[in-house]
Amino acid sequence: MYEKNPLSPHLQIYRWHLSMILSIAHRIIGIVNSVAIILICLWTISLLFGEENYEIIKILFQSFFGKLLIISLSWSFSFHILSEIRHLIWDLGYGFDLKISKITGIITITGSLVLTVLIYLLGKNLI
Amino acid sequence: MVQLNLPQNSKILKGKYYKDKTNSSNLKKVNIYRWEPSNDQNPRIDTFEVDMGNCGPKVLDILFKIKNEIDSSLTFRRSCAHGVCGSCAMNVDGVNTLSCIKSHTDIKGELNIYPLPHLKVIKDLIGDLSGLYKQYESIQPWLKTTQTGKEKQEILQSEKDRSKLDGHYECILCACCSTSCPSYWWNGDKYLGPAVLLQAYRWINDSRDEEKQERLKKVADELKLYRCHTIMNCTNSCPKGLNPAKAIGSIKKMLATT
Repeated sequence: MYEKNPLSPHLQIYRWHLSMILSIAHRIIGIVNSVAIILICLWTISLLFGEENYEIIKILFQSFFGKLLIISLSWSFSFHILSEIRHLIWDLGYGFDLKISKITGIITITGSLVLTVLIYLLGKNLI
Repeated sequence: MVQLNLPQNSKILKGKYYKDKTNSSNLKKVNIYRWEPSNDQNPRIDTFEVDMGNCGPKVLDILFKIKNEIDSSLTFRRSCAHGVCGSCAMNVDGVNTLSCIKSHTDIKGELNIYPLPHLKVIKDLIGDLSGLYKQYESIQPWLKTTQTGKEKQEILQSEKDRSKLDGHYECILCACCSTSCPSYWWNGDKYLGPAVLLQAYRWINDSRDEEKQERLKKVADELKLYRCHTIMNCTNSCPKGLNPAKAIGSIKKMLATT
């Protein structure tokens, strides 16, 4: 009988809520960040091979796309750090209450945006 | 394995439409997952127009009304009808819950009812939970002690120790939590899932049990326990207001500190 029986729908029908979204976002952004770190490392290594490498990156970072990339990465790193702190608090045994986990979730999102703005302002030497 | 799409034989088709015959002005459209094992067709979604003017407040009342008045072949499990037995667990409006304690009055628009997610469907709203029951058996949910019974002595428990079981013994094993967990969807054959881990914690935490360490050792497994990534779907869906995520977190903490 087992082959024939259908599998009931899961992801297709389940209603998304905050901690579910944050959980999958944490994983995806974790992967994105690891790739970003590898690229940053490669860039740093390439600097050893001469000034022209620096110029290439400089042109990229001065373009609109490059700036967008830097801002997005500032956000993704901020998000991942805050989300990881949230997970560490869970690992300590706190914050499992539904209300508290919702509050920490909202703090993670708003905090990551605030951190991004702060990083931007720091980078611009405005603060 | 993570398989995001449904297999070919599980793709959902559009089903029948049952128009209201009572000329009621207070109608609700109810979409229900149907699958008939006696033919080879794919599952389908039937839509029923239900007269709300003459219906009880619970989702289970709607199901009964449909079964009694519109289509008697509609199949679902139910027993106690007030949230004690856990039979009528299903996915209502996108969240797993007990249909007997879920009010339909606060659900606006159409009402969608599916079986518990990611289970083999036996018929309509009935999913096969035998895998979960086997896992429940694997944690040996009974008191283990060196007493044989000849001692004729009661094993006493202080009020404080007894209170450690609060929030765990109330579980009715309706499987709402386990079948809401994406980790359990992808690794349900190895990962124990929130319901069983909550019970595992209940026995680890019982002051009368003498095999606490063995129980902990048994559950400390990359797949059995650590597939929990604190997605919190379990706690969000528990119709009894329990917190399986916290119980799993407590097991992890116990393992890390002993």
